[in-house]
Amino acid sequence: MKALILAAGKGTRLMPLSRDCPKPMLSILDRPVIECLIEQLAKHGVTQIIINTSYLAKEIESYFTSGRRFGVELAFSYEGFEQDGELHDRPLGSAATIRQIQQHSGFFDDTFLVLCGDALIDLDLTALIAAHHQAGALATLALAQVPAEKLCQYGVALLDDTGRIMAFQEKPKLGEAKSDLVNTGVYVFEPDILKYIPSDTPYDLGSDVFPQLAREGAALYGVEIPFNWIDIGRVADYYAVQMAAICGDVPAISRPGIEIAPGIFVGANTRFDPRRCHVQAPMVIADSVTIEDGATLIGPLWIGRGSYIESGVHIERSLVFDYTRVGRQAALIEMLASGRWCAGKDGITIDPVVSDIPWILADSRTKLPSIYNREQHFLAQLNQFEPLEMGQRTS
Amino acid sequence: MELITRHQHNTQTIITFNTTSLDASNADTFRKQIRASLESSTKIAIDMSSLSFVDSSGLGALLSCLRYCTEQGSSFALYGLQRPVSALFELMRMHRVFQVFNSLDEIAGVQA
Repeated sequence: MKALILAAGKGTRLMPLSRDCPKPMLSILDRPVIECLIEQLAKHGVTQIIINTSYLAKEIESYFTSGRRFGVELAFSYEGFEQDGELHDRPLGSAATIRQIQQHSGFFDDTFLVLCGDALIDLDLTALIAAHHQAGALATLALAQVPAEKLCQYGVALLDDTGRIMAFQEKPKLGEAKSDLVNTGVYVFEPDILKYIPSDTPYDLGSDVFPQLAREGAALYGVEIPFNWIDIGRVADYYAVQMAAICGDVPAISRPGIEIAPGIFVGANTRFDPRRCHVQAPMVIADSVTIEDGATLIGPLWIGRGSYIESGVHIERSLVFDYTRVGRQAALIEMLASGRWCAGKDGITIDPVVSDIPWILADSRTKLPSIYNREQHFLAQLNQFEPLEMGQRTS
Repeated sequence: MELITRHQHNTQTIITFNTTSLDASNADTFRKQIRASLESSTKIAIDMSSLSFVDSSGLGALLSCLRYCTEQGSSFALYGLQRPVSALFELMRMHRVFQVFNSLDEIAGVQA
Protein backbone atom coordinates (compact mmCIF):
# COMPACT_ATOMS: atom_id res chain seq x y z
CA MET A 1 0.00 0.00 0.00
CA LYS A 2 1.13 3.54 -0.80
CA ALA A 3 0.34 6.79 0.95
CA LEU A 4 0.71 10.53 0.62
CA ILE A 5 1.13 12.89 3.58
CA LEU A 6 0.15 16.48 2.82
CA ALA A 7 2.77 18.72 4.38
CA ALA A 8 3.07 21.80 2.16
CA GLY A 9 0.78 24.15 4.07
CA LYS A 10 2.02 27.32 5.66
CA GLY A 11 0.10 26.93 8.91
CA THR A 12 -1.11 30.52 9.02
CA ARG A 13 -3.47 29.79 11.90
CA LEU A 14 -0.51 28.47 13.88
CA MET A 15 1.52 31.66 13.68
CA PRO A 16 3.85 32.45 15.35
CA LEU A 17 4.64 28.79 16.08
CA SER A 18 4.82 28.02 12.37
CA ARG A 19 7.09 30.97 11.64
CA ASP A 20 10.20 28.82 11.74
CA CYS A 21 8.72 25.34 11.89
CA PRO A 22 6.40 23.82 9.28
CA LYS A 23 3.16 22.61 10.82
CA PRO A 24 3.81 18.85 10.39
CA MET A 25 7.16 19.25 12.18
CA LEU A 26 5.69 20.81 15.30
CA SER A 27 6.65 18.47 18.09
CA ILE A 28 4.43 16.96 20.71
CA LEU A 29 7.08 16.72 23.42
CA ASP A 30 9.97 15.26 21.43
CA ARG A 31 8.07 13.88 18.45
CA PRO A 32 7.00 15.74 15.31
CA VAL A 33 3.36 15.10 14.39
CA ILE A 34 4.39 13.74 10.99
CA GLU A 35 6.67 11.13 12.59
CA CYS A 36 3.68 9.74 14.48
CA LEU A 37 1.77 9.60 11.20
CA ILE A 38 4.55 7.70 9.43
CA GLU A 39 4.60 5.15 12.26
CA GLN A 40 0.86 4.83 12.07
CA LEU A 41 1.01 4.18 8.32
CA ALA A 42 3.84 1.66 8.71
CA LYS A 43 1.82 -0.19 11.34
CA HIS A 44 -1.00 -0.66 8.84
CA GLY A 45 1.14 -2.10 6.09
CA VAL A 46 2.03 1.00 4.08
CA THR A 47 5.44 0.53 2.47
CA GLN A 48 5.95 3.68 0.39
CA ILE A 49 5.10 7.19 1.55
CA ILE A 50 5.41 10.44 -0.35
CA ILE A 51 5.53 13.67 1.62
CA ASN A 52 4.84 16.77 -0.42
CA THR A 53 6.80 19.75 0.88
CA SER A 54 6.86 23.45 0.14
CA TYR A 55 6.89 25.84 3.11
CA LEU A 56 10.15 25.29 5.04
CA ALA A 57 10.68 22.10 3.04
CA LYS A 58 14.23 21.66 4.31
CA GLU A 59 13.03 21.32 7.91
CA ILE A 60 11.02 18.25 6.95
CA GLU A 61 13.37 16.72 4.40
CA SER A 62 16.48 16.96 6.58
CA TYR A 63 14.74 15.42 9.61
CA PHE A 64 13.76 12.29 7.66
CA THR A 65 16.98 11.41 5.91
CA SER A 66 15.48 8.00 5.20
CA GLY A 67 12.38 6.12 6.18
CA ARG A 68 14.35 3.00 7.01
CA ARG A 69 14.08 3.38 10.77
CA PHE A 70 10.29 3.21 10.32
CA GLY A 71 10.46 0.28 7.93
CA VAL A 72 9.10 2.31 5.00
CA GLU A 73 10.43 4.03 1.89
CA LEU A 74 10.05 7.80 2.03
CA ALA A 75 9.99 10.15 -0.93
CA PHE A 76 9.60 13.91 -1.10
CA SER A 77 7.83 15.95 -3.72
CA TYR A 78 8.86 19.61 -3.49
CA GLU A 79 6.44 22.25 -4.74
CA GLY A 80 8.25 25.39 -5.82
CA PHE A 81 11.44 26.43 -7.62
CA GLU A 82 14.96 27.65 -6.98
CA GLN A 83 16.11 31.05 -8.15
CA ASP A 84 19.23 33.01 -7.21
CA GLY A 85 20.08 30.63 -4.40
CA GLU A 86 16.65 30.79 -2.80
CA LEU A 87 13.71 28.43 -2.80
CA HIS A 88 10.41 29.97 -3.81
CA ASP A 89 7.47 27.96 -2.53
CA ARG A 90 4.55 27.35 -4.88
CA PRO A 91 2.20 24.95 -3.12
CA LEU A 92 -0.13 23.32 -5.63
CA GLY A 93 -3.17 22.45 -3.56
CA SER A 94 -3.81 18.93 -2.33
CA ALA A 95 -5.42 17.58 -5.51
CA ALA A 96 -2.86 19.12 -7.87
CA THR A 97 -0.17 17.52 -5.69
CA ILE A 98 -1.58 14.08 -6.49
CA ARG A 99 -1.69 15.01 -10.17
CA GLN A 100 1.95 16.18 -10.19
CA ILE A 101 3.20 13.02 -8.48
CA GLN A 102 1.21 10.85 -10.88
CA GLN A 103 2.56 12.68 -13.92
CA HIS A 104 6.09 12.31 -12.55
CA SER A 105 6.17 8.58 -11.90
CA GLY A 106 2.70 7.03 -12.04
CA PHE A 107 3.12 6.41 -8.30
CA PHE A 108 -0.56 5.83 -7.56
CA ASP A 109 -1.14 2.44 -9.21
CA ASP A 110 -3.53 0.93 -6.67
CA THR A 111 -5.74 1.93 -3.72
CA PHE A 112 -3.85 4.57 -1.72
CA LEU A 113 -4.12 6.65 1.45
CA VAL A 114 -3.86 10.41 1.84
CA LEU A 115 -3.39 12.04 5.26
CA CYS A 116 -3.15 15.66 6.31
CA GLY A 117 0.12 16.27 8.12
CA ASP A 118 -1.36 18.36 10.91
CA ALA A 119 -3.38 15.95 13.01
CA LEU A 120 -2.56 13.05 15.30
CA ILE A 121 -4.71 10.02 14.63
CA ASP A 122 -4.96 6.52 16.04
CA LEU A 123 -7.45 5.43 13.39
CA ASP A 124 -7.65 1.78 12.37
CA LEU A 125 -6.54 2.40 8.79
CA THR A 126 -6.89 -1.29 7.91
CA ALA A 127 -10.58 -1.16 8.81
CA LEU A 128 -11.01 2.07 6.85
CA ILE A 129 -9.50 0.50 3.73
CA ALA A 130 -11.69 -2.59 4.17
CA ALA A 131 -14.80 -0.40 4.34
CA HIS A 132 -13.63 1.43 1.22
CA HIS A 133 -13.35 -1.83 -0.74
CA GLN A 134 -16.59 -3.21 0.62
CA ALA A 135 -18.49 -0.15 -0.59
CA GLY A 136 -16.75 -0.26 -3.95
CA ALA A 137 -15.82 3.37 -3.38
CA LEU A 138 -13.78 5.68 -5.55
CA ALA A 139 -13.00 7.81 -2.52
CA THR A 140 -13.63 7.23 1.18
CA LEU A 141 -13.31 9.90 3.84
CA ALA A 142 -12.77 9.13 7.52
CA LEU A 143 -15.35 11.17 9.39
CA ALA A 144 -15.43 12.13 13.02
CA GLN A 145 -18.27 13.27 15.21
CA VAL A 146 -17.55 16.64 16.82
CA PRO A 147 -19.52 18.75 19.29
CA ALA A 148 -21.92 21.31 17.79
CA GLU A 149 -19.82 24.33 18.80
CA LYS A 150 -16.81 23.03 16.89
CA LEU A 151 -18.57 22.19 13.63
CA CYS A 152 -17.97 25.70 12.29
CA GLN A 153 -14.22 24.97 12.05
CA TYR A 154 -14.59 22.03 9.68
CA GLY A 155 -16.07 20.61 6.51
CA VAL A 156 -19.33 18.93 7.48
CA ALA A 157 -20.43 15.87 5.45
CA LEU A 158 -24.04 14.89 4.77
CA LEU A 159 -24.56 11.14 4.22
CA ASP A 160 -27.38 9.03 2.88
CA ASP A 161 -28.44 5.67 4.41
CA THR A 162 -25.71 3.77 2.60
CA GLY A 163 -22.87 6.00 3.79
CA ARG A 164 -22.56 7.84 0.51
CA ILE A 165 -21.70 11.52 0.84
CA MET A 166 -24.42 13.64 -0.78
CA ALA A 167 -23.07 17.12 -0.01
CA PHE A 168 -20.69 19.19 2.08
CA GLN A 169 -21.07 22.28 4.19
CA GLU A 170 -17.77 24.13 4.47
CA LYS A 171 -17.39 25.72 7.93
CA PRO A 172 -21.12 26.21 8.57
CA LYS A 173 -22.30 28.90 10.94
CA LEU A 174 -23.23 27.88 14.46
CA GLY A 175 -26.59 26.10 14.41
CA GLU A 176 -26.68 25.70 10.62
CA ALA A 177 -24.78 22.41 10.34
CA LYS A 178 -26.98 19.62 8.98
CA SER A 179 -24.83 16.82 10.40
CA ASP A 180 -22.26 16.40 13.17
CA LEU A 181 -19.78 14.43 11.06
CA VAL A 182 -16.72 16.26 9.77
CA ASN A 183 -13.94 15.56 7.32
CA THR A 184 -10.78 14.62 9.25
CA GLY A 185 -8.33 14.79 6.37
CA VAL A 186 -7.86 11.03 6.16
CA TYR A 187 -8.76 9.63 2.74
CA VAL A 188 -8.67 6.38 0.77
CA PHE A 189 -8.62 6.73 -3.03
CA GLU A 190 -8.66 4.62 -6.13
CA PRO A 191 -6.26 5.82 -8.85
CA ASP A 192 -9.33 6.80 -10.89
CA ILE A 193 -9.62 9.85 -8.63
CA LEU A 194 -7.11 11.42 -11.01
CA LYS A 195 -9.82 11.70 -13.65
CA TYR A 196 -11.36 14.41 -11.50
CA ILE A 197 -8.21 16.52 -11.20
CA PRO A 198 -7.52 18.85 -14.16
CA SER A 199 -3.97 19.51 -15.31
CA ASP A 200 -1.99 22.68 -14.78
CA THR A 201 -4.18 24.43 -12.28
CA PRO A 202 -4.13 24.68 -8.49
CA TYR A 203 -6.75 22.26 -7.24
CA ASP A 204 -7.87 21.25 -3.80
CA LEU A 205 -9.44 18.02 -2.58
CA GLY A 206 -11.68 19.55 0.06
CA SER A 207 -12.98 22.53 -1.87
CA ASP A 208 -12.83 21.28 -5.50
CA VAL A 209 -12.74 17.49 -5.93
CA PHE A 210 -15.04 16.27 -3.16
CA PRO A 211 -17.89 18.71 -3.84
CA GLN A 212 -17.70 17.75 -7.52
CA LEU A 213 -17.82 14.03 -6.70
CA ALA A 214 -20.83 14.60 -4.44
CA ARG A 215 -22.61 16.66 -7.13
CA GLU A 216 -22.02 14.04 -9.78
CA GLY A 217 -23.17 11.22 -7.53
CA ALA A 218 -19.80 9.46 -7.73
CA ALA A 219 -18.86 6.67 -5.31
CA LEU A 220 -17.79 9.02 -2.53
CA TYR A 221 -18.26 7.46 0.90
CA GLY A 222 -17.87 8.60 4.46
CA VAL A 223 -16.94 6.14 7.18
CA GLU A 224 -17.22 6.85 10.85
CA ILE A 225 -14.83 4.68 12.80
CA PRO A 226 -14.41 6.03 16.34
CA PHE A 227 -10.81 7.17 16.84
CA ASN A 228 -8.78 9.81 18.60
CA TRP A 229 -8.33 12.68 16.24
CA ILE A 230 -6.18 15.49 17.54
CA ASP A 231 -6.33 18.30 15.03
CA ILE A 232 -3.53 20.82 15.46
CA GLY A 233 -4.89 23.63 13.31
CA ARG A 234 -4.69 26.49 15.78
CA VAL A 235 -2.40 27.66 18.59
CA ALA A 236 -5.01 26.72 21.20
CA ASP A 237 -5.18 23.15 19.74
CA TYR A 238 -1.41 22.79 19.89
CA TYR A 239 -1.30 24.13 23.44
CA ALA A 240 -4.02 21.69 24.53
CA VAL A 241 -2.37 18.61 23.02
CA GLN A 242 1.01 19.52 24.52
CA MET A 243 -0.58 19.97 27.95
CA ALA A 244 -2.26 16.56 27.59
CA ALA A 245 1.04 14.94 26.54
CA ILE A 246 2.86 16.45 29.52
CA CYS A 247 0.21 14.87 31.75
CA GLY A 248 0.81 11.52 29.99
CA ASP A 249 -2.65 11.53 28.43
CA VAL A 250 -1.68 11.12 24.75
CA PRO A 251 -1.20 7.38 24.15
CA ALA A 252 1.01 7.85 21.07
CA ILE A 253 3.46 10.05 22.96
CA SER A 254 5.40 8.69 25.92
CA ARG A 255 7.18 11.26 28.04
CA PRO A 256 10.92 11.43 27.27
CA GLY A 257 13.70 11.59 29.86
CA ILE A 258 14.00 10.06 33.32
CA GLU A 259 11.28 10.49 35.91
CA ILE A 260 13.37 11.94 38.75
CA ALA A 261 10.32 12.58 40.95
CA PRO A 262 6.65 11.72 40.43
CA GLY A 263 5.56 13.40 37.19
CA ILE A 264 8.88 15.22 36.68
CA PHE A 265 10.70 14.01 33.56
CA VAL A 266 14.19 15.31 32.87
CA GLY A 267 16.44 14.79 29.85
CA ALA A 268 20.17 14.07 29.71
CA ASN A 269 22.72 16.80 30.39
CA THR A 270 20.15 18.99 32.14
CA ARG A 271 21.03 20.97 35.27
CA PHE A 272 18.00 21.07 37.54
CA ASP A 273 17.58 20.49 41.26
CA PRO A 274 13.84 20.45 41.99
CA ARG A 275 14.54 20.64 45.74
CA ARG A 276 15.98 24.10 45.24
CA CYS A 277 13.10 25.36 43.10
CA HIS A 278 9.39 25.82 43.68
CA VAL A 279 8.06 22.89 41.71
CA GLN A 280 4.66 21.41 41.00
CA ALA A 281 4.40 18.36 38.69
CA PRO A 282 3.76 17.36 35.97
CA MET A 283 6.53 18.64 33.78
CA VAL A 284 8.81 17.52 30.99
CA ILE A 285 12.24 19.13 30.82
CA ALA A 286 14.23 18.27 27.70
CA ASP A 287 17.97 17.73 27.41
CA SER A 288 20.79 20.22 28.03
CA VAL A 289 18.51 22.63 29.90
CA THR A 290 19.71 24.82 32.78
CA ILE A 291 17.26 25.74 35.52
CA GLU A 292 18.78 27.98 38.15
CA ASP A 293 17.92 27.42 41.79
CA GLY A 294 15.00 29.53 42.93
CA ALA A 295 12.88 29.27 39.79
CA THR A 296 9.15 28.62 40.16
CA LEU A 297 7.79 25.91 37.88
CA ILE A 298 4.08 25.09 38.07
CA GLY A 299 2.95 22.25 35.81
CA PRO A 300 1.84 21.12 33.40
CA LEU A 301 4.80 22.64 31.64
CA TRP A 302 7.42 21.76 29.07
CA ILE A 303 10.88 23.22 28.62
CA GLY A 304 12.67 22.52 25.34
CA ARG A 305 16.24 21.58 24.55
CA GLY A 306 19.08 23.89 25.56
CA SER A 307 16.86 26.43 27.30
CA TYR A 308 18.09 28.52 30.23
CA ILE A 309 15.72 29.42 33.06
CA GLU A 310 17.07 32.06 35.40
CA SER A 311 16.51 32.17 39.14
CA GLY A 312 13.32 33.98 40.11
CA VAL A 313 11.45 33.13 36.92
CA HIS A 314 7.81 32.14 37.29
CA ILE A 315 6.58 29.61 34.71
CA GLU A 316 3.10 28.18 34.98
CA ARG A 317 1.14 25.95 32.54
CA SER A 318 3.41 27.08 29.73
CA LEU A 319 5.57 25.79 26.89
CA VAL A 320 9.14 27.01 26.52
CA PHE A 321 10.62 26.13 23.13
CA ASP A 322 14.16 24.98 22.34
CA TYR A 323 17.03 27.35 23.11
CA THR A 324 15.06 29.96 24.99
CA ARG A 325 16.54 32.07 27.77
CA VAL A 326 13.85 33.14 30.22
CA GLY A 327 15.10 36.04 32.32
CA ARG A 328 14.52 36.42 36.05
CA GLN A 329 12.01 39.26 35.59
CA ALA A 330 9.72 37.09 33.48
CA ALA A 331 6.39 35.54 34.38
CA LEU A 332 5.06 33.03 31.85
CA ILE A 333 1.50 32.04 32.64
CA GLU A 334 -0.30 29.99 29.98
CA MET A 335 2.20 31.15 27.39
CA LEU A 336 4.14 29.60 24.53
CA ALA A 337 7.55 31.25 24.48
CA SER A 338 10.73 31.29 22.48
CA GLY A 339 13.50 33.83 21.97
CA ARG A 340 11.79 35.00 18.78
CA TRP A 341 8.16 35.15 19.81
CA CYS A 342 5.83 34.70 22.72
CA ALA A 343 2.19 33.74 22.31
CA GLY A 344 -0.73 33.39 24.62
CA LYS A 345 -2.81 30.28 24.07
CA ASP A 346 -5.47 32.65 22.73
CA GLY A 347 -3.04 33.58 19.97
CA ILE A 348 -1.96 37.02 21.27
CA THR A 349 1.69 37.50 20.46
CA ILE A 350 4.59 39.51 21.77
CA ASP A 351 7.78 39.85 19.76
CA PRO A 352 10.62 40.04 22.29
CA VAL A 353 13.01 41.36 19.64
CA VAL A 354 10.76 44.18 18.43
CA SER A 355 9.70 44.92 22.00
CA ASP A 356 13.40 45.11 22.85
CA ILE A 357 13.19 42.95 25.98
CA PRO A 358 16.07 40.47 25.55
CA TRP A 359 16.46 40.17 29.32
CA ILE A 360 12.94 38.72 29.48
CA LEU A 361 13.12 36.38 26.47
CA ALA A 362 16.07 35.70 24.19
CA ASP A 363 17.82 32.91 22.36
CA SER A 364 19.78 31.02 25.02
CA ARG A 365 22.81 31.03 22.70
CA THR A 366 22.96 34.84 22.46
CA LYS A 367 26.07 36.35 24.07
CA LEU A 368 25.18 37.69 27.48
CA PRO A 369 26.69 41.21 27.66
CA SER A 370 24.21 42.60 25.13
CA ILE A 371 21.33 41.13 27.13
CA TYR A 372 22.56 42.25 30.54
CA ASN A 373 23.36 45.80 29.39
CA ARG A 374 19.75 46.23 28.34
CA GLU A 375 18.54 44.71 31.58
CA GLN A 376 20.70 47.00 33.72
CA HIS A 377 19.47 50.01 31.83
CA PHE A 378 15.87 48.99 32.44
CA LEU A 379 16.37 47.90 36.04
CA ALA A 380 17.88 51.27 36.86
CA GLN A 381 14.41 52.63 36.22
CA LEU A 382 12.57 49.71 37.76
CA ASN A 383 14.58 49.04 40.92
CA GLN A 384 13.10 51.83 42.97
CA PHE A 385 9.81 49.98 42.88
CA GLU A 386 11.29 46.54 43.46
CA PRO A 387 10.15 45.97 47.10
CA LEU A 388 6.60 45.40 45.88
CA GLU A 389 5.51 41.79 45.56
CA MET A 390 3.66 40.38 42.62
CA GLY A 391 0.01 41.33 42.60
CA GLN A 392 0.45 44.04 45.19
CA ARG A 393 -0.33 47.55 44.11
CA THR A 394 1.25 50.87 44.81
CA SER A 395 -0.78 53.07 47.09
CA MET B 1 0.46 66.65 15.82
CA GLU B 2 0.79 66.34 19.55
CA LEU B 3 1.53 62.81 20.73
CA ILE B 4 -0.86 63.11 23.66
CA THR B 5 -4.00 64.99 24.60
CA ARG B 6 -4.80 66.11 28.10
CA HIS B 7 -8.21 66.68 29.57
CA GLN B 8 -9.79 66.95 32.96
CA HIS B 9 -12.39 64.59 34.43
CA ASN B 10 -13.43 65.78 37.90
CA THR B 11 -10.19 65.86 39.86
CA GLN B 12 -8.48 63.42 37.51
CA THR B 13 -6.11 64.53 34.75
CA ILE B 14 -6.50 62.14 31.85
CA ILE B 15 -3.87 61.61 29.18
CA THR B 16 -4.86 59.98 25.90
CA PHE B 17 -2.54 58.98 23.07
CA ASN B 18 -2.87 60.18 19.49
CA THR B 19 -0.78 57.24 18.32
CA THR B 20 -0.98 53.45 18.32
CA SER B 21 2.49 52.73 19.63
CA LEU B 22 4.73 54.00 22.38
CA ASP B 23 8.25 52.92 21.54
CA ALA B 24 11.84 53.97 20.93
CA SER B 25 10.73 56.34 18.16
CA ASN B 26 8.52 58.53 20.36
CA ALA B 27 9.28 57.73 24.00
CA ASP B 28 11.41 60.86 24.48
CA THR B 29 8.76 63.06 22.89
CA PHE B 30 6.19 61.52 25.23
CA ARG B 31 8.38 62.26 28.24
CA LYS B 32 8.73 65.91 27.23
CA GLN B 33 5.06 66.40 26.38
CA ILE B 34 3.69 64.84 29.56
CA ARG B 35 6.02 66.78 31.85
CA ALA B 36 3.74 69.83 32.25
CA SER B 37 0.77 67.62 33.17
CA LEU B 38 2.78 65.74 35.78
CA GLU B 39 3.91 69.01 37.34
CA SER B 40 0.47 70.57 37.49
CA SER B 41 -1.69 67.64 38.60
CA THR B 42 -1.73 65.26 41.56
CA LYS B 43 -3.99 62.66 39.95
CA ILE B 44 -2.82 61.33 36.62
CA ALA B 45 -4.66 58.61 34.68
CA ILE B 46 -3.20 57.35 31.42
CA ASP B 47 -5.74 56.06 28.92
CA MET B 48 -3.77 53.30 27.16
CA SER B 49 -6.65 52.15 24.94
CA SER B 50 -5.29 53.51 21.65
CA LEU B 51 -1.92 51.78 22.10
CA SER B 52 -1.52 48.39 20.41
CA PHE B 53 2.24 48.28 20.93
CA VAL B 54 4.59 49.31 23.73
CA ASP B 55 8.28 48.41 23.77
CA SER B 56 10.87 48.61 26.53
CA SER B 57 11.58 52.28 25.74
CA GLY B 58 7.87 53.04 26.05
CA LEU B 59 7.75 51.18 29.36
CA GLY B 60 10.84 53.08 30.45
CA ALA B 61 9.08 56.38 29.73
CA LEU B 62 6.02 55.27 31.73
CA LEU B 63 8.30 54.18 34.57
CA SER B 64 9.97 57.59 34.68
CA CYS B 65 6.51 59.19 34.92
CA LEU B 66 5.65 56.83 37.73
CA ARG B 67 8.89 57.67 39.54
CA TYR B 68 8.25 61.39 39.25
CA CYS B 69 4.68 61.04 40.55
CA THR B 70 5.75 58.80 43.41
CA GLU B 71 8.34 61.40 44.44
CA GLN B 72 5.74 64.16 44.27
CA GLY B 73 3.17 62.14 46.18
CA SER B 74 0.83 62.16 43.14
CA SER B 75 -1.14 59.21 41.90
CA PHE B 76 -0.31 57.68 38.53
CA ALA B 77 -2.57 55.00 37.09
CA LEU B 78 -2.94 53.23 33.75
CA TYR B 79 -6.20 51.94 32.31
CA GLY B 80 -7.73 50.41 29.19
CA LEU B 81 -4.75 48.31 28.11
CA GLN B 82 -5.20 46.41 24.85
CA ARG B 83 -4.58 42.67 25.06
CA PRO B 84 -1.08 42.67 23.46
CA VAL B 85 0.02 45.45 25.83
CA SER B 86 -1.44 43.81 28.92
CA ALA B 87 0.22 40.53 27.86
CA LEU B 88 3.56 42.36 27.79
CA PHE B 89 2.81 43.82 31.22
CA GLU B 90 2.05 40.34 32.58
CA LEU B 91 5.14 38.83 30.97
CA MET B 92 7.34 41.53 32.51
CA ARG B 93 5.42 41.60 35.80
CA MET B 94 4.75 45.30 35.38
CA HIS B 95 1.65 44.90 37.53
CA ARG B 96 4.06 44.88 40.45
CA VAL B 97 4.90 48.52 39.93
CA PHE B 98 2.07 50.15 38.02
CA GLN B 99 -1.49 50.57 39.16
CA VAL B 100 -3.37 49.04 36.25
CA PHE B 101 -7.14 49.35 35.91
CA ASN B 102 -9.74 48.27 33.39
CA SER B 103 -11.50 51.62 33.22
CA LEU B 104 -11.56 55.16 34.48
CA ASP B 105 -14.56 54.30 36.66
CA GLU B 106 -12.51 51.62 38.35
CA ILE B 107 -9.82 54.18 39.25
CA ALA B 108 -12.42 56.53 40.67
CA GLY B 109 -13.84 53.65 42.71
CA VAL B 110 -10.46 52.86 44.26
CA GLN B 111 -9.60 56.47 44.95
CA ALA B 112 -12.99 57.39 46.40
